[in-house]
Amino acid sequence: MSATVSALKRMIAPALPVMLALGGALWALPSGLPPWRSVSIVSAWLGTGLLVGSLLLMVRAPRIARLLGGLDVQYRWHHRSGTLGYVLLLLHPLALAADGWMQSPRLAWQALAPWFLSWPQWLGWAGLLLLMIGLGATFSFDLPYRRWRALHYLLGIGVLCGLLHVWALLGEPGALWPFMLLAGLALGWRLLGVDLGIAAHAYRVRSVVRPAARMIEAVLEPCGARMKPVPGQFVFAAFGNGPSFRGCGEFHPFTVSAVGADGSLAVGIKALGPCSRHVQALERGVLVRLQGPFGTFLSGRAAVAELWIAGGIGITPFLAVLRRERRAYPTALIYLYRSAQDAAYIDELKAIAEVDPLLALHDICAGGLPDFDALFGRVPDLRARSVQLCGPVPLIEAAREALGRHGVPVASIHFERFDFR
Amino acid sequence: MRKLFIASTLVFGLAVCGFWLASTVLTTSEAGAGVVQKTAEPQWSAEEVARHGTPTDCWMILGKEVFDFSTYLPQHPSDPDVIVPWCGKNASEAYLTKTKGRPHSPYADSLLPKYRIGVLK
Repeated sequence: MSATVSALKRMIAPALPVMLALGGALWALPSGLPPWRSVSIVSAWLGTGLLVGSLLLMVRAPRIARLLGGLDVQYRWHHRSGTLGYVLLLLHPLALAADGWMQSPRLAWQALAPWFLSWPQWLGWAGLLLLMIGLGATFSFDLPYRRWRALHYLLGIGVLCGLLHVWALLGEPGALWPFMLLAGLALGWRLLGVDLGIAAHAYRVRSVVRPAARMIEAVLEPCGARMKPVPGQFVFAAFGNGPSFRGCGEFHPFTVSAVGADGSLAVGIKALGPCSRHVQALERGVLVRLQGPFGTFLSGRAAVAELWIAGGIGITPFLAVLRRERRAYPTALIYLYRSAQDAAYIDELKAIAEVDPLLALHDICAGGLPDFDALFGRVPDLRARSVQLCGPVPLIEAAREALGRHGVPVASIHFERFDFR
Repeated sequence: MRKLFIASTLVFGLAVCGFWLASTVLTTSEAGAGVVQKTAEPQWSAEEVARHGTPTDCWMILGKEVFDFSTYLPQHPSDPDVIVPWCGKNASEAYLTKTKGRPHSPYADSLLPKYRIGVLK
């Protein structure tokens, strides 16, 4: 039953932009126009609907993420609908030019060249170019996060330019009203509620420990309303200022490594980027703004034996479970780390495994990808186990492939993507 | 999605360049070969139309035809802000995609000959 509900929830995110796109296209469905002109109008409305849907899926709020089956599902469709909307909008001016081509090549070019057009079309061109630049930045792997984020804002401005372009051409808002309203609400909430953190929870750093090289674990206590995360979830945290610490103020995702009965929670922070490197100097008393909790990893697990595979900082969700309760079913934990210095929480994990007979810990120091075939030989009844994966993408992909070779059903393999760009 | 973005952007760029090239090459060759028939009625270039871009001197291009709407503007049913920006411009798209992307009415079409002053050069 829960699997059915979960599958239905995952349909909402793609359905939202599709419904908006079809609604816009049906409203503007042309009749009696030349074929290429009709293609141009329909592609424009389909693209606009998908882009507005993409903006709505960008809103980061725990309730919305739960409704849509998780933040990773939400963001995946945010990317897909945004890109598909862009492709359809590229077709719009080309179809107009194709329509002009029916009369003459010169007229086709005059339908495209901005110097033959006027400001309503300039707005359209501006929107398209901003989308082009913003998406180019989105798909750039090497762009530093802060530059990527700044360029990502261009996408929102591009959508607004596109909506104003339609408004100017129509001469009346018509079906554009709902699109303008939804786009305005999504952008407003994203800027004020998410990026500026107006809706965030206030916490304070209670203590900081160093479980490994280039990594800290911060215990955070609520200053007011508290969140109720469960092991496996993550929060977005923006660290403020302390007596001698100056935070970078940006929200970044961190997995919860412990949930306290007094409302406190702990997050493990590995030095992976400029902000997380800076946070390594975190101190007691610093004010932290938290958003969340998000994520469905480790939720709704079947009551069967499990195999957990953790790579590096990916140990934190499993640690949160082990810190909270003893295992009820046989669990094999394969913990992979690059060097002894990077083996965060290893002593604590060994201590837990000593007193919990259902937990079998296999800690492996490996510079690269391990020999999964040899590792899986140590795990009895592998095919009958539910598998949970957390770690870098190459590790997850390699583990999934190896699990498939060992006959583990795809439905038994669970993981969550943490790439929120 | 990354591949789709790159492929579609490249195709778009090539298509735009193709339209520009075709406009330059085909128009020149047609003119050189004398394919374009001389007509008895006046021919106006887009640049000439652009010189008539005010509410009191308002020419527009619709398709391949040129119209002088200077005397019609006060009668246009919509807000002047809607039509005035098109003076001196190619308004084909706006004419064909009025509200809800639909073209103007047959009545509007019947008014056009009255204001027609020639064809696009």
